[in-house]
Parts: sequence; C-alpha cells; structure tokens
Amino acid sequence: MRTNKISLYAITGFSKNNIQLLRLLIQQELTLRYKRSVIGIGWTLLNPMLTSFVLWIVFSFFFAGKLETGQQFAPYLMAGILLNTFFNQGLLQAANSIAANGNILTKVAVPPKIFAFAASLAAFTNFLIGLIPLAAVVYISGQTLSITFPIVLLIGLFMAFLTAGIGLMLSVIFIRFDDAKNIINVLLLILLYLTPVFYPLSILSEGMQKIVTLNPLTSFLDAFRWSFSNNASATTGDFIYLSVTGIAFFVLGNFIFKKYWPRTVSML
Amino acid sequence: MSSVIKAENIDFAYRVLNNHQSSLKTLFRDFVKRKVRIENYQALSGLSFSVEKGETFAIIGKNGAGKSTLLKLLANVVPPTKGKLKITGTVAPMIELGAGFNPELTGRENVVFYSALLGRDIKKVKQRVDQIAGWAGVSDHLDYQLRTFSSGMIARLAFATATDEVPDLLLIDEVLSVGDGEFAQKSRTRMQEIISSGTTVVLVSHDLATVAELADRVLWLENGKLKKIGDPKEVIAAYQSSGS
Repeated sequence: MRTNKISLYAITGFSKNNIQLLRLLIQQELTLRYKRSVIGIGWTLLNPMLTSFVLWIVFSFFFAGKLETGQQFAPYLMAGILLNTFFNQGLLQAANSIAANGNILTKVAVPPKIFAFAASLAAFTNFLIGLIPLAAVVYISGQTLSITFPIVLLIGLFMAFLTAGIGLMLSVIFIRFDDAKNIINVLLLILLYLTPVFYPLSILSEGMQKIVTLNPLTSFLDAFRWSFSNNASATTGDFIYLSVTGIAFFVLGNFIFKKYWPRTVSML
Repeated sequence: MSSVIKAENIDFAYRVLNNHQSSLKTLFRDFVKRKVRIENYQALSGLSFSVEKGETFAIIGKNGAGKSTLLKLLANVVPPTKGKLKITGTVAPMIELGAGFNPELTGRENVVFYSALLGRDIKKVKQRVDQIAGWAGVSDHLDYQLRTFSSGMIARLAFATATDEVPDLLLIDEVLSVGDGEFAQKSRTRMQEIISSGTTVVLVSHDLATVAELADRVLWLENGKLKKIGDPKEVIAAYQSSGS
C-alpha cells in the first residue's frame, strides 16, 4: 500500500520554489526597511530599547511598586512592548503586503498568501532579535533567564500564526475599503490599552480584570513573561488559550482570504 | 495532440461597488439608505477555445475588447467567474516586464527575485545570473542598485531574465522586442527562437503584420465575446474589413 507523504508543500499549497521565494521575501523585509540608514538592521535592536526606555521613565513612577515580589518593572515593560510590536507589525504589514505587491500579483501567478506569511515571519524574526536586548535588561534588573525560555519560540510561532491569519482577513478589506486602515489603527490602540503591556493587572478593578483576561493577547503576554524570566504567572489555560487562538485565526484568515480573493484581485 | 489550454464557456466579470467609491463610510451610509449597488462589468462572456501544444496563438481585438483580461486568466492570476479553464505545464507571463523589480535591490538580487516570482529554482538561477546580465549587456552594473540603472538597461535585464528559461506556455502582451537598435534586433531574434522552439505561445498584439507572420491561429475578441477564430489570414481580413 502506498502511504501519502505529508509535506509542508502539501499543507500550504506552495511549491518547493515558493518556499525559496518566501525566504527571499523575509530577507528583503528585514533588510530593505533600513537600507538607507547608517546603522541598518541595528535599528531592530535599538527600537524596542528606546521605546521601552521612554515608557519606563514615565510609568515606573506609577507601576513599579505594584508588581508582585520578585518581578521587575523594566523587563516586564520591555517584554510587553516587544510582543505588542510583534503583533502590530506582523498584522499591519501582512495586511498591507497584498495591496503593496498588487502590481506583481496581477501579472505573475504567485500564491498571494506568500507575501502575508513573509511579513508575519519577518515580524517574528524582529521579535527574536529583540530578545537579545531584553535578556540584557533582565540581567541588569537583577533577574536571570528561566530555564523555560525556549518556550518563547513556540509562543512566537503561535503569534506569527495569529498575525498572518488576521493580516490575511484584513488584506482583503484594505483593498476594498480605503478607510479601513484608520479604523484598524484605532482598534489596535484600544487593544493596546486592554492588554497589560505597561501596567500590572492588579491595578485594575475586578470587572476590568475580567475583560483584560479575556483578551488572548494577555495570555500571550503572561506566557511570554513567565517563560522568559519568570516575570509573570501563567497557567496551562493561558497556553491552551493562546495556541487555540493562534491556530483558529490562522485557519479563519486563510478561509476568508480564499473566499474573497478572486473577487478582490480585480480591484487591484 | 494534447491541449495546453482548454477553456470551456468562461465568463469574467469585474465587480464594481457603488461606482468606485470604496470606503466603509460610504458603504455604511448607502447601506442605511438601502442604496448599496454592486455592478458587474462583464469583461468576457461565453468564451470557448483550446490551444494545442506547440501552437502560436494570437488574440486580436480593439482596446477594451477583453484581451488583457483574457491574458490574466491564462496567467492564472485571476480565476474565471464562470466556466472551466484548464492550463497544463509551467506558464511564463511576459505581460509587463520587470513587474517585480525593486529599485533598492541590486541588479543581481533583482534577477534572482524576479526568477523566484516566476516560480523558478533560484539555485539554478544564481549560477546563471552572470550569463543573463552578459546577454543583456549590463555586466558592469550588476552589483549596483537598480535605481542607478537607465530605463533601457532595466528593460534589457528584465527581458533577459524572463526569457532565460523556456516555459511550456509563454504569454506575450506586445513585448516582442525591447530596447533600440542592436538590442531590439537581438531580442526579436530570441523571441522568434523561442516561438519556433516548439513552446506554446499566446500572443496579444495590435501589430497585425506580426500576428500574420507568427501566428498559427488567431482569435478575434469583440466586447468580450468570441467573434471569429481560425486561420490568421481569414480572421485578420475579416477584422480589417469590419472597419477597425
């Protein structure tokens, strides 16, 4: 009897050469953005540090004392910013990528999803690079890396799935409606405040705490902080919630994209 | 003989939402007033034809007859709204040369990226980059960013890259030669070599003399419908006598 070989190609619908293209696109996404700047890709390291530093000056007065004992505000904040940047960047760039490459997609038969995947994976890579300065901040604050820190890779992968999925859904909407971007930016801002990025959950009222815990990003963030330097508490429930959310949005995004793409491509 | 393209009764309609005013705000306003209109613009209707292996097939017609739309369908960029379209083998579209070129990348990187977009194996392409650039006459500039290239050089590099591998099906939209003088002749010769090499070619052109010279069969499109198909001389004669 013949067994069907299950390969990456079969699952994604990409050919072997498409995987090569995906690698090229990720490389481009990472290098081209800072091509004309002096320190180049060094911005990927500096960006989260600078943002975190500014927010740290502002918020450490209010929130540093509110964390549980053993937790440090500087790595707490920076982890939040790193993950939030990953989410926003991955999602928006995946959503924009399809329209931005419209001139290619209307002339060459490339699986369009490849551009969205490249954007999400590039954001993932940026996130991984950002872990280096985060580790430095962890040690400066007197903490050590947890033995569980490789789990961060898995959390990042689910985040990449989540951003690719939402990005694919939004990409069709972005092409059809010019003002959708503005609405999404406002929604992302609301989502930022509903995620404990720069404040500890304990400062909220009980009702608000419930709402914020329902936000899947909170689970992502707790799991990340916990596994990297034991700077938050995460439960098994958090891990289940984040993986289910990641996969569910990915499947939904692919489904919606497949359904609406044929009608959308002629608008490019 | 086996068909490379088999089209059965294909339709293609563009959707136009509320006369191009595409914003959520207007959609919401119109929805409240119950004025949402989706208009379909029928670009192609009821087309059936097939193209055999090794054939050179030309599509003629006036501007707006649906020629470019049909080429997009054949390039697998958009699926038909209705009907069945089957294409076998690798397709290389020469619809707009250099559509994936990025001015920030070097010439070499662009050749590799463009080839990857066309679905080629970039390991093979990397070994051929110098030859491709040599043929295009841009060897000296290959490792500089594309924005330092002249437009003629970009066109030559794009043409050389696109024609480097011979596909099973080649789609051509007016690009039969690029550049000027010597290179125009060189590219035209390569195009003729490819066409006569046994590859299946679908060609869209306004240049009726070229069509008569190259094509084995001609399809005349009018307002998205098949008006006449068959022998080049007959179809072109009918097309010309229709006053176009």
